[in-house]
Amino acid sequence: MGIFTEKTSTLSRRKFFKLLGGIGMTGAAASISGCTTEAVGGKGWIPGQYQVPGNWPVKVKGRIPIDPQNPSIVRDDQKCILCGQCLDVCEKVQTVYGYYDLPIKKDITCVHCGQCALWCPTASIKERDDIQSVLRVLDDSNMHVIIQTAPATRVSLGEEFGLPPGSIVEGQQVAALKKLGFDSVFDTNFSADITILEEAAELLNRLEQSNILPQFTSCCPGWVKFCEYYYPDLLSHLSSVKSPQQILGALAKTYYSERVGIAPENIVSVAVMPCTAKKFECQRPEMNSAGRIIGNPRIRDVDFILTTRELASLMKLRKIDLNGLDNEAYDQLMGESSGAGVIFGATGGVMEAAVRSLYFLVSKQRPPEQLLELNAVRGLDGVKEAEVIIPGKGSLKVAVCHGLKNARMILEKVRAGNSPWSFIEFMGCAGGCIGGGGQPRTSLASADEVRRARMASLYNLDGRVYRKRASFENQKVQNLYKEYLGHPGSELAETLLHTHYIDRAKDLTIRKK
Amino acid sequence: MTKGILVDIPKCIGCGSCTVACKLWNQVDFDDRYPSSGKEAVLSDKNWTIIVSCEVIDKESRPAWRFIKQQCLHCQQPACVSACFSKALQKNSDGAVVYYPHLCVGCRYCMVACPFDIPRYEWDKTFPLVTKCQMCSIRISQGEAPVCVMVCPTGAIEFDERDSLLKKAQAKMNKDSNYIRGIYGEKEVGGTGWLYISDIAFDQLGFKTNLGSDSLPIYSHNYLKYIPGIAVIWGMVLTVLYYYSKRKKELLTKNQELEDSSDNKQEKEVIREKSFETSKDKHN
Repeated sequence: MGIFTEKTSTLSRRKFFKLLGGIGMTGAAASISGCTTEAVGGKGWIPGQYQVPGNWPVKVKGRIPIDPQNPSIVRDDQKCILCGQCLDVCEKVQTVYGYYDLPIKKDITCVHCGQCALWCPTASIKERDDIQSVLRVLDDSNMHVIIQTAPATRVSLGEEFGLPPGSIVEGQQVAALKKLGFDSVFDTNFSADITILEEAAELLNRLEQSNILPQFTSCCPGWVKFCEYYYPDLLSHLSSVKSPQQILGALAKTYYSERVGIAPENIVSVAVMPCTAKKFECQRPEMNSAGRIIGNPRIRDVDFILTTRELASLMKLRKIDLNGLDNEAYDQLMGESSGAGVIFGATGGVMEAAVRSLYFLVSKQRPPEQLLELNAVRGLDGVKEAEVIIPGKGSLKVAVCHGLKNARMILEKVRAGNSPWSFIEFMGCAGGCIGGGGQPRTSLASADEVRRARMASLYNLDGRVYRKRASFENQKVQNLYKEYLGHPGSELAETLLHTHYIDRAKDLTIRKK
Repeated sequence: MTKGILVDIPKCIGCGSCTVACKLWNQVDFDDRYPSSGKEAVLSDKNWTIIVSCEVIDKESRPAWRFIKQQCLHCQQPACVSACFSKALQKNSDGAVVYYPHLCVGCRYCMVACPFDIPRYEWDKTFPLVTKCQMCSIRISQGEAPVCVMVCPTGAIEFDERDSLLKKAQAKMNKDSNYIRGIYGEKEVGGTGWLYISDIAFDQLGFKTNLGSDSLPIYSHNYLKYIPGIAVIWGMVLTVLYYYSKRKKELLTKNQELEDSSDNKQEKEVIREKSFETSKDKHN
């Protein structure tokens, strides 16, 4: 027995060579059978079959430039297949790329609409990820985290959880956000109603003094930056009212902060948006009106934006299934909304909402039924026109467009001075916010069926679900004006709800036609 | 017949399509440590071409971005080819300087020789090779443009005969006064296959502008050209020495043998005498 153990424990020279031979044979067999980290087809200098490397895409067109510092979108080179979809949407739908001369200046022209992220078939382009930042503040017990949800996310979030396009998940979305640990959940519809009241008042003002018409809407940050780049001479037409997101953010750190008695420094304001440009908007230097009032300009009105897609990832990260949640209601102070607020998410919605309020502002009466169903400005036509009769003001010609290529057509007319319109709604993305760059991806980037389904749900909410259909009927908004702001156009309202714009023409050389 | 590529620097928007196309075509992996475009872009064994963002002051004395494409410049008289003793780097007749890995011994002389500091070594591998842009030589041989040229969305990179590109570049400079005079690569180290025109001085964009217009192999050629002559003469000298010493040795051994044979005779006689005496004793 002793001899036997001794024999096995010593490694004879013969055994050693056998071992080495075995390893060598295994290695040779593995490399012959293809167990290698090298890609199929060999290195570039070894011609592959048909002298074309195996993973070379059939059609390559290049891609758009993206600044590594871009606040809204980022690109993962490893996923890019150079298919050129981003170029196509940026140049042909949004008319941004290719509309400036080279060389570029110290700015890579981008309106942050995020359509490229929506069109990118490999998700190489996506929004700049704020999930980790939001998780960090959610885990911080010193921080009071509030969140607002845009009109358009309640009809698209369901798609990320297997529901058909257009499923209305308003209540489940609120429940999910509460479950994620947000201290208060507010509705951007609430501030959309404020936007409308202010914007209608501004329009009325312009109509009465008949200066600088038409008025342009200003709630789409992609469109606003587009105007700042390419049509800075028309910036005076832009309504000075902030977008609903920024209004709610500013109110959260002033009005809400006072009501609940939490210092604005300890409030973190998050927004769920269908949009990547909102990430840029909340970082605009002037968007700190609450901070300026308090005397701490470093405080931002809105701290983080989550796109619809990011919210879905966040929920999945925390193992929350939207389908298994019961409906919950928005928090009271800034949670009520009217139908006018919710249709902000669809192209034509802002116009329709504004007309309802304008009618009321002028006549002090509830708008008639045909103004509540203003079908001329609904739908997916690129440019829509309507004529509405406002008692005492006569007929008012309005126009609605979505997609920045359509905006150019209208803007050229305005620039030439032959526009018949008094009020024009612009939306950067096709279909409005429901087709925004932060929305769930669809199998086909330009799927109009999906857009129609989402829009139909918004109008459904407006017509059938919400009891109030016009912004001035919003009780909470009335309270806000009564208790805090005074009246539309007051000094405090001016500071918190209005903004100014920057001429960005110096950042690029606009291509002459 | 020599092909070339013209880079119109002001037309580059820094999208980095070329860097991705290069990786896709040549099947080179991405490496997180070495970005292939942006401010920190560096050439590496996996980045055969990069786009470097450069902040400069433009003609209107405002800060501006320029993007510089870096890759092998495919010299007309490449120093790497002349430095490579195993013929692993060769200059094709169409202008591409191509690396043949099966011939490479891994000495990395090419890396030392290159005036633009282009070739990189696969330091992470057990059996490393040298890597660099091949100018998509397979595509060129089939009459196609390299992939980086093909994919460029703004047309900032152009592929053509080198001579016609030089003419095109001249025409562009004559037409647009924003370009600075001079084509980088026209004369540098004897001319390169890749040519650059720019509206910003090349030294501000990180180009080496002090390389001179002599091709680098010329420097060593000036004295290395004597080597065959020296080798023949040296061989002849050695041959003569060899025969001289051989003859001397032969003579010496001959004399020795003569001496040896005379000594042997005497010795034998002595032995014979001795044996004769002993036999006599036995008989007695």
